[in-house]
Amino acid sequence: MNFALLSLAIPLFCGLLLLLSGRALRTRTTGFIVIVSTVASLVAAWFALQEAAAAGADIMLNLGGWETGLAIRLRLSSLSALLLVFTALMHLLIGLYAGLSRDGIKRDYWALSCFLHGSLAALWLSADLFNLYITLELLGLTAVAMVALAGPKAYKPAANYLILSLAASLFYLLGVALLYGRYGELDVLLLAPRTQADVITRLALLLMTTGLMLKAALWPLHLWLPPAHASAPTAVSALLSGLVVKGPLFILWVLWSEVAPPTLAQQIGPVLAIAGMIALTAGGLSAMRSPHIKTLVAYSTVAQLGYALMALGLLLTWQLPQMHIALWLFVIAHGLAKASLFLAAGEMQSSLGTKRVDGLRGATQTVPVAMFAFAVAGGSLIGLPPSGGFLAKWVLLEPILSEPGNWPWAMGVLLGTLVSAAYIFRIVAISFDRAQINPLDINPDRVGHWLALLPALMVWGMALSGEWLIRLLAGGPV
Amino acid sequence: MTLSWTTLLPVLIILSSLIPGLLIFATPEAAARRRIILNMTGVTVKLLLVALMLAGVSRGFEFRFAIAFLPGAELVLRGDALALQFIALSSVLWLMTTIYAIGYLENSPLRSRFFGYFSLCVSATVGVALAGNMITFLLFYELLTLATFPLVVHRGTPEALRAGRVYLAYTLGGGTVLLMGIALLHSIAGTPDFVPGGYLTSLADEHALSLRIAFGLMIVGLGVKAALVPLHGWLPQAMVAPAPVSALLHAVAVVKAGAFGIIRVVYDVYGIEATTLLSLTRPLAWLAAVTIIFASVRALQQQDIKRRLAYSTVSQVSYITLGVSLVGPIAAVGAIVHLVHQGLMKITLFFCAGNFAETLGIHKIQEMDGLGRRMPWSMAAFTVGALGMIGVPPIAGFISKWYLATGALEVNQDWVLLVLAGSSLLNAAYFLPLLYRGWFRAPPAGGWHENNFAGQRLETHWMLLLPPLVTALLSILVGVFAGSIFSPLGWSQFIVNREFGL
Repeated sequence: MNFALLSLAIPLFCGLLLLLSGRALRTRTTGFIVIVSTVASLVAAWFALQEAAAAGADIMLNLGGWETGLAIRLRLSSLSALLLVFTALMHLLIGLYAGLSRDGIKRDYWALSCFLHGSLAALWLSADLFNLYITLELLGLTAVAMVALAGPKAYKPAANYLILSLAASLFYLLGVALLYGRYGELDVLLLAPRTQADVITRLALLLMTTGLMLKAALWPLHLWLPPAHASAPTAVSALLSGLVVKGPLFILWVLWSEVAPPTLAQQIGPVLAIAGMIALTAGGLSAMRSPHIKTLVAYSTVAQLGYALMALGLLLTWQLPQMHIALWLFVIAHGLAKASLFLAAGEMQSSLGTKRVDGLRGATQTVPVAMFAFAVAGGSLIGLPPSGGFLAKWVLLEPILSEPGNWPWAMGVLLGTLVSAAYIFRIVAISFDRAQINPLDINPDRVGHWLALLPALMVWGMALSGEWLIRLLAGGPV
Repeated sequence: MTLSWTTLLPVLIILSSLIPGLLIFATPEAAARRRIILNMTGVTVKLLLVALMLAGVSRGFEFRFAIAFLPGAELVLRGDALALQFIALSSVLWLMTTIYAIGYLENSPLRSRFFGYFSLCVSATVGVALAGNMITFLLFYELLTLATFPLVVHRGTPEALRAGRVYLAYTLGGGTVLLMGIALLHSIAGTPDFVPGGYLTSLADEHALSLRIAFGLMIVGLGVKAALVPLHGWLPQAMVAPAPVSALLHAVAVVKAGAFGIIRVVYDVYGIEATTLLSLTRPLAWLAAVTIIFASVRALQQQDIKRRLAYSTVSQVSYITLGVSLVGPIAAVGAIVHLVHQGLMKITLFFCAGNFAETLGIHKIQEMDGLGRRMPWSMAAFTVGALGMIGVPPIAGFISKWYLATGALEVNQDWVLLVLAGSSLLNAAYFLPLLYRGWFRAPPAGGWHENNFAGQRLETHWMLLLPPLVTALLSILVGVFAGSIFSPLGWSQFIVNREFGL
């Protein structure tokens, strides 16, 4: 548990340090400090993962030694440890890009990314609905500030994002208040055995779900996401799509799989699963039509979250806890792949001087490495073997196919695959166009292009540790 | 896991083309020599390794490499007799096609990219052959799609891109359906290694419906690449690719991967017993028969040489499916041997069609008049390929048809003889006019469109001429020496003895 706390504390302290230092440090030094601290946090998270895996059960910690019920309670499960590693790894990969690529990034990015990292780590470890609210709020505010880093043209999407994020937090907080009034308890584990399917609980859960779905941009509450993610600086888009939207999803999962009474969970399950299928199709179709590269990638996030939502919905419908393996494999695979997609898209945009999909004609010749990164990462979104996306899809398909009554749900996976293939290969096909090549605007930044490829290679490498990941997420000693 | 040469050999065979491929990507465009050396080293090493494995398997060695992947489904590479049939074919033809492609693409742009994907494509094909279970098969099957797409759109023209999109729509769609089938099968029986006789016989009663659906899904998924009607639409379109790519797609990699998959599913997953129990063979046989006849008729309607050859591929590859679905040992020999025979003959035809186009700018059948006088060697090789397709002894195609026909009689499926006879007549109808024009008509009075390599000692570039001559010669040799154990026929017999437990 100490390692987990360390993994959470390092980025927070680093962020505070950077705030206090003000303008004293140069941007490069700042970046270097953040990357070193991210590595430290990653190592700590790795040890926490070992600890959680060895324990085979959740490890609880009451901060400050207060007794349960009063104290801030943290929970380290093998899932939260894995998410700690994932968060640190994503920050490292994207931090390396932000620090080493030629375009660089504003100084404020570094402190903000530290806070983002810290608040996400706190979110994975919290086991209390109110603490989760705090982390959610921190996460939202940091994310809004990061979108605004892109300058005046991003202010409008950032402001919209802020308003929606605050509204969503209010919904959530209202639900929390209702639950507290009803049960006098907010600790997830204490609340879980007591909840009943009465009107107040229903209302509270409904409010919280709306807020969380809005924050996670789950269909049909996703409309704010494409403009916000597409207008942010490249590294920020990668963080937002790869990590930030997963935070509220985690809370949604905790809420419905642990807090809510099973009868209610079974009622909402199919609704969520169908929303997921619609997200896959509708998000994918929007991505297919999108004229801009980054908007396409952002819509693909909406679509891919549909898989996660579908996994969550089916988990609740069938009350199959092991379905959460599919859910979190999707989250991790999507995070890594999406990081690559956004970094590659950003690099191609700046090298080719265009934001439009048409501008990618001949990109396999002009920006081969970035285009390759895009295609490789896209392969994981489609779910081609042996990528991480395939792993997740496989785990999702298993319970669907094992029971003939569940087969209709396989259509969702089928549709999702085909639609993702359509929008990814829309880009790939254009990039092979040799008839009217769009020439380079500036010399491509080789380092940036290769760094964009790195997360994509990792998501394909996930397959090699597939069995280990699945056993880890299944709980029990590894 | 102990590492010995028998575990490593399957991996090395894949790496022998994968590593040169990756190095070629990093080779500067101008370094043509380095690229050729990389290509040739890869091919040579691969051929040696395949020869080693061939010797090992015929002495009864087991080659198996496995690593963990999914729970209950490892990644398995295994060299068995059936795998070797396909690997030996693809390695030999890879050598020929590489020589041909070097000559064909001389001085054209983007060669590093081309040869890089070319090598990846062969690695994926060999992976399909070596796959030891359905999951591994799926993995390489999809990688093959990805590796061939850049080759199909290599020219980068609007037509090439359109063909590429069609190709992807078909193959990725097929891959998804195949995944569904494999996942469904996995939920019933897990994913053990391929085993002669299959592993589903004991489940056939209990899960009849699910197994039938899984079979249907897998055949649809594999049928896309094997170009079974009505899933063949991508193949004639993909003709816009450069000639060596068409040759590779048609004779070795893509269509064969589909056909090979069907062989694996019927023999080593379901097994003959379960396929018969579930009455799956009859529909498959009808599908194959319809494809054979329909595609031959379509071929007759084409005026473009390459498109006619494309429809001929659709028709000929279905001989394999037909032979498999007859579930008799003799027909099975015919099917498995046709995998190799069709490859040798079809690649000869495509090489020659490429030579006509490159040398004289000939694309249409009407333009072939008098071709034999200007390009006698290419025309001779083309003739061998075409006659072989029709089934004239002693060329390879005759052996396949003979075994398919006697195999059909053995299992009392006399209607198949009608299909074979009809198809042979149609083959003759769409190939003989080409031969007639080439040999017996006078060359056009106004001369040829283009006339490259005129007045030189050879009728065209030696690298374009050598491969079709070698493959034409091979098509005759495998027919003449069919009786030897190391001929494709002898080897097919060896495979079938194991599959049918004879």
